[in-house]
Amino acid sequence: MNSPMSDPAFWHRIQFAFTIIYHYLFPQLTMGLIGFIVFWKFKALRSGNPRYATAARFWTKIFGLNFAIGVVTGIPMEFQFGSNWAAFTRYSGEIIGQTLAMEGMFAFFLESAMILALVFGEKRFSPRGHFLVSLGVAIGSWASAYFILTTNAFMQHPTGYTAGADGLLHLQSFGQFLFNPWAIVEFAHNQAASLVTGAFVVTSLGAFYMLGVRHHDQARLYLKYGAAVGLFASVLVAFPTGDRQAKMVAKYQEVSLAAMEGRFQSGPEAELVLIGQPDVQNRKLDNPIIIPEALSFLAYGTFHSDVRGLGAFPENVWPGNIDLLYYSFHIMAGLGTLFIVVMALAVVYLLIGRLESNRFLLWVLMLAFPFPYIANTAGWMTAELGRQPWLIYGLFRTEQGYSKAATSGSTVFTLIGFCGLYLVLGFLFFYLIEREIEQGPEDEGD
Amino acid sequence: MRVIELWYAILAFTLIVYLMLDGRNFGVGAIQRAVAKTPAERRQLALALGPLWPWHEVWLVVLGGVMFVAFPRVLAVSFTGYYLALYLVLWSLILRGIALEVTGYDEHPLWQEFWDFVFTASSVLLAILFGVALGNIARGVPVGPSGEFQMPFFTNFRTSGQVGLLDWYTVSMALFTLLALSAHGATYLTVKTEGPVCDRSRRLAHKLWILFCPALAAVFAETWIIHPNLLSGIGSRPLAIAPIVVAIAGAAMIARGLKYHRGGLAFTGSWLLLAGLLIAGAAAMFPTMLRSTLGDSNSLTAYNSAAGPTSLKVAAIWWPVAVALSLGYSLFILRQFRGKVPAGR
Repeated sequence: MNSPMSDPAFWHRIQFAFTIIYHYLFPQLTMGLIGFIVFWKFKALRSGNPRYATAARFWTKIFGLNFAIGVVTGIPMEFQFGSNWAAFTRYSGEIIGQTLAMEGMFAFFLESAMILALVFGEKRFSPRGHFLVSLGVAIGSWASAYFILTTNAFMQHPTGYTAGADGLLHLQSFGQFLFNPWAIVEFAHNQAASLVTGAFVVTSLGAFYMLGVRHHDQARLYLKYGAAVGLFASVLVAFPTGDRQAKMVAKYQEVSLAAMEGRFQSGPEAELVLIGQPDVQNRKLDNPIIIPEALSFLAYGTFHSDVRGLGAFPENVWPGNIDLLYYSFHIMAGLGTLFIVVMALAVVYLLIGRLESNRFLLWVLMLAFPFPYIANTAGWMTAELGRQPWLIYGLFRTEQGYSKAATSGSTVFTLIGFCGLYLVLGFLFFYLIEREIEQGPEDEGD
Repeated sequence: MRVIELWYAILAFTLIVYLMLDGRNFGVGAIQRAVAKTPAERRQLALALGPLWPWHEVWLVVLGGVMFVAFPRVLAVSFTGYYLALYLVLWSLILRGIALEVTGYDEHPLWQEFWDFVFTASSVLLAILFGVALGNIARGVPVGPSGEFQMPFFTNFRTSGQVGLLDWYTVSMALFTLLALSAHGATYLTVKTEGPVCDRSRRLAHKLWILFCPALAAVFAETWIIHPNLLSGIGSRPLAIAPIVVAIAGAAMIARGLKYHRGGLAFTGSWLLLAGLLIAGAAAMFPTMLRSTLGDSNSLTAYNSAAGPTSLKVAAIWWPVAVALSLGYSLFILRQFRGKVPAGR
């Protein structure tokens, strides 16, 4: 009787989760890649060396395809707030609407005016003018991230609001809302992670061309900058940004931290779990491999700090899906650690001049590109599953937020529609990307 | 309370700018088959759309943002109520955007034929859907005492009580919108293209604008039948009369521009005509935003749906700054893409 599928909220959540996860596969690459493109266009402008211009031109085509899918899958996101989460929209709309509208007006306007000029209009601009166009796209896409992460930060840790007598939230301090400390940490962590995706993709293609003995000069360029940025960004994701993010969760979402770690009992000198399977029914963790006292240190800065477990909180504030939350967090953190190792190895071999001849490492780099996507997705699942059962943490529950007037039948219908449409988009994307990679950077006419 | 009126005006402005800008692209898509006969001509058409069509589409996102920040209740009620229609719009926009993006990536004739068809079909559907939306705004929707509604695509095709998305009035508004945007798009092509495409566009624009006159009279008459107060509202409000005068001037400019082959004049006239009619409609509606067909007391108005004063004031500070910046970027880009698109190789 009480299957989750008979609950309308289930379908609204699945649709939002599916469409947002799919959408974010594209912006995480474009936000990372645009950094490479701007940098190479700058080098080309300064040095006049055509290899940088060729690199920027090739990656702009990859960027353009990703951007196109990112845009078309992004537009439904904003509109789903109104259609599927009407009660949430009404409750907090005038606050989160600020940043959602600012994203459109300050970020999307800039990106959308520049994007086709960036991808198709190089000949119409001077090199300096076209560099400015790429800079405009870069600023637009990173500003967009800030606005949308501020919106998310309000849901994670609301600030700058007041609860009105009409039962709705009202804006009290625009500054406190826009510069929510959670938003700043989340932005730094997320943008570093998007650079990781960009760097792994650039490195992967460099390794692919190197192993296939094609486009040798370009391949060297991709390996060099991909590995350097990859190492830098992978370290940034862990420290200081990931560390600060974890401390924020420990401070404001204590129960989520317990669930992320599969920690049921409270106590000092809390251990950090590396591997293990949570057993929520019996409130224990099976097959644990741990680092003693590390969780206390990471969360609160001393090895003997008390870290409360799930048992210390009533079950109605536990995150709804503890198993998935636990695995999401551990997959993200585990992959994040491996990224540092892989990129550090690549940089060491680069420095001693042996990377190009180390076929094993090139194979690893070539095959590694899907993992940052998995880590980014798992990270977002950690953030959003950890926020449950709240839509706005401590204020408004997820089950209160969906559109009561929209029927489950309609939601299932639109979810099926999205599945079909996005499947087609996926095939189309792979076909077009494969063509670009096959054609490669050097063969194009000028 | 003046800030609420300001936000009603901003919302109307955003909606009208979106419809005029992207409506031009829908119009070009709808008449693609009629004015571009060869693959080369269809490429010429795609180039004539220019580099800013994504920027046009963002005006729709901004429209959502303005509703969010200023009238969250209207956003919540209408998007839930129009649930299926909204998704048809979103999916059509996805297909339209993809078609425009990917057609040029592959030279294969079947690839091009397929995506040209998708572009035309999604453009026609979007023009129709936005026409239905305008019809629904004028006619009203079944908002009940709970302040919500959920509307099927169709009920009994009548225009009062438990109405559906489609009835005789909204369907005729949809066809009228398709006609108006096709004429608007054809007029644009006379400015932006050369050669046979330009000649065909001019002849088509001429025909469509002649058809537009009786169609407009018919839509006025129908609106008089279903909502007499809306038209009498125009007569008593200076803010609604002025745009009607502008619209008439626009019509004269279209006639003169098409006759003397002055595309720029005709296209400016097309803007003034359509925007004038829409502004007059918005001014006559005020303060109603979602009219209820189940009794006026259920209607959502600017006053009973607006956000709190702090929110409206804060947003009124950054909004004009953002619009000015946006116009700056678009002009910077357009300057590099000015001039007509020549007939293809």
